[in-house]
Formats: sequence, C-alpha cells, structure tokens
Amino acid sequence: MDKVNVIKILLVEDDTLDVMDARRTLDRMDILYKMQVARNGEEALDFLNRSEAAKGDVPDIILLDLNMPKMNGTEFLATLRQKSQWKNIKVFVITTSDEKEDRDLMQKLGVSGYIVKPLKFNNPSSIDSFNLMIDLLNIKNKT
Amino acid sequence: MKISHLIFLGFFLILIMFSIATYINYKQTEKVNENSDWFANSTTVMRQGNRFQRNILNMVSGLKGYLLSGEDYFMQSYDSALTENKKILDELQTIVPDTSEQKRALHELIGLNDQWILDYADPLIRARKAAGLSDSSLAAYNALYRDKVVLGTEKIINRNLQQRFREFTDYEYRLREARSQVLTDSIAQTRTISFYLTTFSIILGFLISLFLAYRISTRLMAMVRMADTIASGKYEVQTADTGRDELSQLANSLNHMAHVLSENIRLLERKNQELDQFAHIVSHDLKAPLRGIDNVITWIEEDHSTELPPKIREYIQLIKGRLQRAESMIRGILLYARVGKQSPEREFINLNTLLQDIAESLVIRPGIKLEIQPGLPDIHSEKIPLQQVLSNLIGNAIKYHDKTEGYVRVYLKDATDHFIFFVEDNGPGISRNYHSKIFAIFQTLEARDSFESTGIGLAIVKKILDDRKQKITLTSEPGKGSVFSFTWPK
Repeated sequence: MDKVNVIKILLVEDDTLDVMDARRTLDRMDILYKMQVARNGEEALDFLNRSEAAKGDVPDIILLDLNMPKMNGTEFLATLRQKSQWKNIKVFVITTSDEKEDRDLMQKLGVSGYIVKPLKFNNPSSIDSFNLMIDLLNIKNKT
Repeated sequence: MKISHLIFLGFFLILIMFSIATYINYKQTEKVNENSDWFANSTTVMRQGNRFQRNILNMVSGLKGYLLSGEDYFMQSYDSALTENKKILDELQTIVPDTSEQKRALHELIGLNDQWILDYADPLIRARKAAGLSDSSLAAYNALYRDKVVLGTEKIINRNLQQRFREFTDYEYRLREARSQVLTDSIAQTRTISFYLTTFSIILGFLISLFLAYRISTRLMAMVRMADTIASGKYEVQTADTGRDELSQLANSLNHMAHVLSENIRLLERKNQELDQFAHIVSHDLKAPLRGIDNVITWIEEDHSTELPPKIREYIQLIKGRLQRAESMIRGILLYARVGKQSPEREFINLNTLLQDIAESLVIRPGIKLEIQPGLPDIHSEKIPLQQVLSNLIGNAIKYHDKTEGYVRVYLKDATDHFIFFVEDNGPGISRNYHSKIFAIFQTLEARDSFESTGIGLAIVKKILDDRKQKITLTSEPGKGSVFSFTWPK
C-alpha cells in the first residue's frame, strides 16, 4: 500500500462563510487534506512561525484571500516571500476580482494560481482552478 | 506705456508736425499777400512817375509853343499837365514811405519841379502875356527869353529833373528786384520746410504704426497660441508678457484663467478618478456579502431541499432572483466605471464581421429579423467601444421588441468627416417624455420585476460616445418603432 499523502492547506481568510465555502468545495474533491485557518496575514505568519519552531509541518498550499483586516493578502505575500525556508509553499489567491490587472499583479508577486470566488461547483472557473491547483502540486493523494 | 497712450502720442506728434507745416505755409501766404500789395503800390508809383515825366515834356513843349506863338491853346496843355503833376506829386507823397530813400528823391523832385515853374516857366509866361501890351514889355520878354531859354538855365533844371526822376524809378526797380528775390527765396524755403516736415510726419506715422502693429500682433499671436494650446487640452500653459499695458493685462488675465482652468480640470479629473475607484471598490465590497447570501442559499438548496416546505422554496427563488439583479447591477457599475479606462487602440475593422459577431452573441427570438446592411466598409477605428455601443443598441432593440414578427435594421451613412450608424426597429417605440431619461444610469422603462434589465446599457453607450465627443440621436414615437443614430469618428 502506498503511503497516503495528506495535502496540508493553510487557508488565510477572514470571512466565516468563505471558510465554510472552501471547506465544502475541498470536501467534494477527491482528495485527502488537512486544513488550518488563519483569520488574517498576522495570524498566518504566527502559525507558520509556530509550526516551524515546533518542527511541525509546513503547509503545502496557502489559499490566500486578499481583502482582510490587520494584514492583507498582498502584505502577507510580500513578507512570506522574504523568507527562503517558505519559498516552496505554493500560494493560490482567492478573490472576487477577475480583472486582468489584478491577475497580472498577483503573477508579479509570485503566486501559483488565481481562483475566482465563489467556489461553487456550478462555477466552472473556480473548480477548474482548484483542479489545476491540485495537478500543479502533483501531490494528489495516492491511495 | 499703455497702447492707447502710445497711439495718442503718435497721432499727437504727427498732428504737431502738420500744424507746423500749415503755420509756415500760412505765414508764407501772408508774406506773398503783403508783397503783392506792395507790388501794386510800386506799380502805381512807376505809372504815376512815367505820367509825371510825360507831363513835364508836355509842359515844356506847351510852354515853348506858347512862347513862340502866343496862342492860348498851348497854355491849355501846359496848365492841364501842371495840375495833373501836382496831383501826382501829392499822391506819390502819400504812397512813398516816409523813411525811405525815395522820399528824399521825391522831395528833390518836387523842389526841382517848383524851381522850374517859379524860376523859369512862370516868369516867361507872365512876360509873354505882357509882351503884347507895350514895346518895353516886349523888350523885357525878349531879354528874359534870351536869358532863360537861350542861355540854357532851363535846360540845366530840366536835365536835373530828368536825372532825379530816372534815379527815383531806378531805385524803385532795384527795390522790386530785391523784394522779388527775397520772396522767391522765401517760397523755396517754405517749400523745403513743408516737404521735410510732411515727409518726416509720414515716416514717423509709418514707424509708429509699424511698431504698434508688430507689438500688438506678436503678443496677440502668443495669446492665440496659448488659447489654442488650452483648447487642445493642455491647461498648464503660461504666456510671458512683461509689459505694463492693456495687452499685458490681457495676458495676465489669460494666465490666471489658464491657471484656474488647469486647477479645476485637475480637480475634476481627480474627482472622476475617485468616482471610478469608488465605483470599483464599492462594487467589489458589495459583492462579498451578496456572495455570502448566495452561498448560504445554495447550501440550503443543495443539502436541505427535501426538508423544505414548498413556500420556503418559493421564497428562496425570490431571494435568488433579487440576488441576480443585484449582481448584474454591480456588474453594470463595474462595466460603466471601466468605460474609458482602456487606452484607445485603433485597428482595422470589417464592419460586417463585427456586426455578425454581435448578432451571434445575442439571443434573437424567432420572428425578429436582424437585417445588416450588406457591403459595409472596413474602417480604422477603436473596435471594443464601437462593438459595445452597437451591441447594446442592437441588444436593446431585440430585447424590447414587442411584435411577433419584426425587424431590427443596422445601416451606415458616410458623412465626409464622420460616420453615422443607425439602429432601427419597428418595436414599441419610446414616448418623447423619456427620450432624455433613457440614457441615465439604472433608468429602465419597464417594471424591474417584469423584465430582466439593469438600465446600464444606454448609460454605457452615452458614456462611450460622450468620451469621444460623439452624438446620439433618438427618433421615436410610441407604436412607430425607434431609430437610434450615433456619429462615429473616421
């Protein structure tokens, strides 16, 4: 039996509904995952620092909302990119904006993907993005 | 110096020059007049002088005739010449100026004349008259005749008289010549002065007008250039004019105006930008809670639809409908805010292909025919805005069409410097009261519940056309269909 590969996800999102939404979407996908939630950039950095100190697992993926209190997504991303030990973490931005300018900006900040809310199954663009995200990681759980 | 003062000064200088010229000419005229008066006098003097001389000769010959013949006839001519000469001498005395050289000559003449009469003529005449009375008196006369005539004293006096007279007239001639020379010189001088003054005035006038024209026109042109620059959309211009006259005031006012204009425009641009940003941010922020509601509704439907009473399911549908409308309104605001944000890019457009693309993107219900003018030209223009305008107008015409069988026609007119596009339908038509209203944002003429429309389409059309300074016209009446026509730059 192959080793079961659990995808470790850190969701940085302040809106409870969006957290629920993400969870629902992930639940319906054919994957095993473990998800932590941070309410804003600061909490996310705290979590990363703590898990590093405890020699815990660093997440494979960060799902990042942009519009958050205290430290928003862009600021968090800038801080994250300064630390070399976190450079392998794939970051996917979840946003309501599907404007080209915003996509280009995110591309510049070194994000791996761009997922448009709402994360519904009847929203093809978001589900495609999720699938793409999983494929990109190439760590889809082997059972 | 003020321009009005400069003009005034210039004219004043020229006026002074001409006044001097006129004054000099006037003085010259006076001189000429005076001279001709004098000349008239001089002519009288000469004429009277000549007559005097002739009278003397008459007197001499009359006297001689009488002395020889004793006839009174000769005395008559002598007497008349004598009386006339007395008159002439009196007249000459009044005419000839007291102080002159001639006065003395005249006095001498009168003296000699008197001497000739008293010493010579009178005694002889008296003796001749008495000669017939007695022999002694005849002898006395003969003696006197010999003494006066033959011995020649008379001749001496007469010659003196002639001599003096010649001197008198010679003097008069010389005086005439001298005066005429002076007059000729004076006229020539006046001419020269007048000529120089006039020439100088003309040159001065020319220079002043040249200076003024140059000064006014160069600065006016600078201001015209500035106004043109402003009109072309560059408001940050200033014109340098360091003078202190009316034009400098105008330049200052223009500078001030440009400054105020530029500030206002900047303010307006900032406000516009803020408004666009505002629309952008607001619509994004509004999307979040709407999405939340939508999520929850979806979860209820997906997970609990079997547990729900029919009434709740119906209500949920109502909520979903309103959510959709809110979302499409937000999308509308975003679209509206985005109009004009793209930088204009011109490309070659095949209008038939463009309209075909639009037709394919629209849902056209059966019975409605979309007729596109065949053989439309290729144009070089901005594609996306034109497509948006046409798509919205055609889309509206189709969407609001109320006939089972109807048409929507699209055609083009080429008006030399621009195109005019027409979108014509035989749909319900629009009452005149609403013609201006329909271009306002979120304005619909149908009840919101009854029709799926946000009222953003025509507002976007208007904004696209306004941004490009193009016009849209609506010709429509209820029951007679509508024609939307808009201009588009070539």
